[in-house]
Amino acid sequence: MVVKIKLTPNKKMSIKNRILKLKKPDYVYIPLTNYDNLKCSCLVKEGDFVYKGTVIGMRDDHFHLPIHSSVSGKVKGIVEKLYLNGEKVSCVKIENDYKEKLDPVILKAKSPKRWTKKEFIARLKDCGVVGMGGSGFPTYVKYDVDVPIKTIVVNGAEGEPYITTDYVLMREKAEEILECLDLIMEIMPAKEGFIVIEKGQEALKNEFIKYIGTYPNIKILLSPPLFRSGWEGYIMRHLLKLNYHRLPSEKGVIVNNVSTIYAIYEALQYHKPVMEKMITITGESVKKPQNIIVKIGTDIKDILTFIGGYHDQADIKLIAGGPMMGQAISSDDLVVSNNLNGIVIMPNKTNNPYINCMRCGKCVDICPVNLAPVLIKNAIDDKTRLQYLEPRRCIECGLCSYICPSKVDVREYVKVAKEKVVK
Amino acid sequence: MTKFVVDNGPHIKSKYNTSKMMNHLIIALLPIIIFSCYKNGFYPYFKGYGTLFDAFKPILLIIVGIITSLGSEILFACFFLNKKNELKAYLKYSYAIFPGLFLALIIPVHTPFSILIIGTIFATIIGKMLFGGFGNNIFNPALVGYLFIMGTYQTAITKAGGYLSKMEIDTLGSATPLTNLGGLNYLDTYHNIVGPYGNLKDFLLGFIPGSLGETSALLCLLGLLYLIITKVINWRIPVIYLATVFMITGAIGYYHQLGLWYPLFHILSGGLMFGAIFMATDPVTSPTTPYGQVIYALLLGLLTVAFRFLTNYPEGVATAILTMNMLVFIIDRIGAKVRFNLRWLLILNLILFMLITSTTGYIAFNIKKVDDKDLSFQILNIKRQDQQTIYQVTHKAFHGIIKADITINHVDNKITDIIIIEQKEDVWSQIENADYLKKIIHNQADLDKLDTIAGATYTTNYLKQMAIKVMDDYHKRKEEYK
Repeated sequence: MVVKIKLTPNKKMSIKNRILKLKKPDYVYIPLTNYDNLKCSCLVKEGDFVYKGTVIGMRDDHFHLPIHSSVSGKVKGIVEKLYLNGEKVSCVKIENDYKEKLDPVILKAKSPKRWTKKEFIARLKDCGVVGMGGSGFPTYVKYDVDVPIKTIVVNGAEGEPYITTDYVLMREKAEEILECLDLIMEIMPAKEGFIVIEKGQEALKNEFIKYIGTYPNIKILLSPPLFRSGWEGYIMRHLLKLNYHRLPSEKGVIVNNVSTIYAIYEALQYHKPVMEKMITITGESVKKPQNIIVKIGTDIKDILTFIGGYHDQADIKLIAGGPMMGQAISSDDLVVSNNLNGIVIMPNKTNNPYINCMRCGKCVDICPVNLAPVLIKNAIDDKTRLQYLEPRRCIECGLCSYICPSKVDVREYVKVAKEKVVK
Repeated sequence: MTKFVVDNGPHIKSKYNTSKMMNHLIIALLPIIIFSCYKNGFYPYFKGYGTLFDAFKPILLIIVGIITSLGSEILFACFFLNKKNELKAYLKYSYAIFPGLFLALIIPVHTPFSILIIGTIFATIIGKMLFGGFGNNIFNPALVGYLFIMGTYQTAITKAGGYLSKMEIDTLGSATPLTNLGGLNYLDTYHNIVGPYGNLKDFLLGFIPGSLGETSALLCLLGLLYLIITKVINWRIPVIYLATVFMITGAIGYYHQLGLWYPLFHILSGGLMFGAIFMATDPVTSPTTPYGQVIYALLLGLLTVAFRFLTNYPEGVATAILTMNMLVFIIDRIGAKVRFNLRWLLILNLILFMLITSTTGYIAFNIKKVDDKDLSFQILNIKRQDQQTIYQVTHKAFHGIIKADITINHVDNKITDIIIIEQKEDVWSQIENADYLKKIIHNQADLDKLDTIAGATYTTNYLKQMAIKVMDDYHKRKEEYK
């Protein structure tokens, strides 16, 4: 029996409010990092003038990932700011001159009439498109494979409670998303495309149905409103009924988040790098929860002041990302990066006492990757036993810690085990 | 600057917690507790059996169990764990009442309080605290206590009255259904196995002899339903356990041409229902992996049947659960492995299937139906003389048969003499000490009311039956001679 948990969506609070745009932060702080704390080298120095869209950094290793400025103005040096994983990273501080001058390279670029796969991948590389759902992994890698791709899936199932960026983006940009999906299918070439929407979101479904008539190969897939249904493994195994070993592309499938697809759309149509991002600012402590489009590198403090701040309480948490997989941040000195999809500020709800684990096995039942977290926890000191429990499969979704009736931080044990086994 | 709380995610957690689970467990147990107090205490009292103390004995046993369990854990925590200052916080999450409560529910109603107290202390200290307290014990504490008192004080409990309430001793004789089944060599008619206790409906409702909390299968099933709905336990262990016992005994019954009542009798009698639902599912001592739970439950069913049929202890549940508790460690390893590697699953299922079928086959071929004509009662010879008739008869006994010469006087149509020619009973000395044969002759007018000897219940019952059957036959033949 699969224990199915519907997480209280808590999404309503941010959906109904109008989407705002914060165009004019005085300074932006572009983080020189990619997911998992990979350092990127800086290509500008203090006093340089940069256009909007100028490449100011580059990922160091074999992946090609440029980092673009999101405003035009003067570089003010390199400062330390908090990144969404709670650690300090160096950011390029740029003073905004409010002129929004685009880089000449972008203005000159022309889109070909018929895209080839090579051109498509080159464009993704140039524009620095990354997985916007949270991973931040360079997107071109997914498409740059030798296997023939049969299916493209647009993942619009947003499992994280509170966060609504994907929902709002799909509601506003349904036409563009379909257009982009169709284009990608033509380029790859893929036979079919799917758009995954959570069950019960009728308004969203109708929005797509309005336009879907012109695209006979695109279908809407309904996923159950569960937390884990947003994971690509869930979509592959339960909605498409395909088993894969490491990456979905083994079976000729590419799964992309909605906001990634939208970023691809902008890259293909306007040669526009990822410079803006819609994020959800929500939670019980936020005065006016809403979705807001901000520039990459905006200070969270500026955003909070702009939308009206939060209720200052004694015991509150600021979470970068959703409450399940997000990280609690020690201060609001956080910058918006391209893989941040929301900020939740809420009263601390998890100060439960720790009780002895009673091996009830609820974590085993719920684990989406078939781990046995309780056994991993008990074998934490025994490396040989850890080996066969395979903690490296963990996707760190946090369901084991969520469900635990004894409120044990099961995920932390699995994370530790994961590190031990990899070493 | 730092004003936000930083800790590990997830930052929301389910509302479910261990204390709530334990509360649900108590709610599921409440109907069973109430029923056991009614059936073993008040009901016989209202029917005119036993004293007022006897009426309150079941509830007192349960209270004493809980208090002892709580007390011994407090003392242990204070003196060995140095938790004197944080006792309240410690007790809140150690769920100390359960070993005593469960132990009280699985012991015979006539258990002396002193034995219950000793058993509970043993269960709490040895079964739970020495392993490291709640969550760390390998064996089910209550069953550890149960096995201890059953191993050490069984005779004392039997002497004090054993399993049957005072009313049941009077109306039903002196055996629980499973002891009766063992005495009948496991195979007999519905009339002899279920008949003495009413019908299967009584088994379902629980108006049969047995330990305090185990008799009502219906309330146990309701408890199971409640626990599954509230997600305290998973359905796998209890359902597969019961199904396994049902299938194996069903197969044995089918082989010996018994009806569906036979497997039903097996799952409804003894502590199986209570054990499968409340003891085998104890999360601390059962496997956590889904497939591990399946193996665990299958083997539990197999062991229970094996203990019932192949040993002298007809109640196999407690021993089976404790044996399997020991193997949980290995089973979980297998269960975790199977989650990634489905090839294992096939091999393991094959092994389990072969194990179960071979055991079933072994039991089915090796138990033999007791032939009514052969063993139960057979007249070998009738010698009619002037004044008396001498019957030479054999009657089924606990071990083999009893062969006897019974002399009946023609004048007053009464048994005047019983001479035992052959017997293999191991409790025969008790019969001789009590001069039971003389008692039979003395009380022959109303043998039903003659008490059996504790410890030699079966033999005494068979002797009584033998006398009754001889008298019946004598009266039948007397008509013919006329």
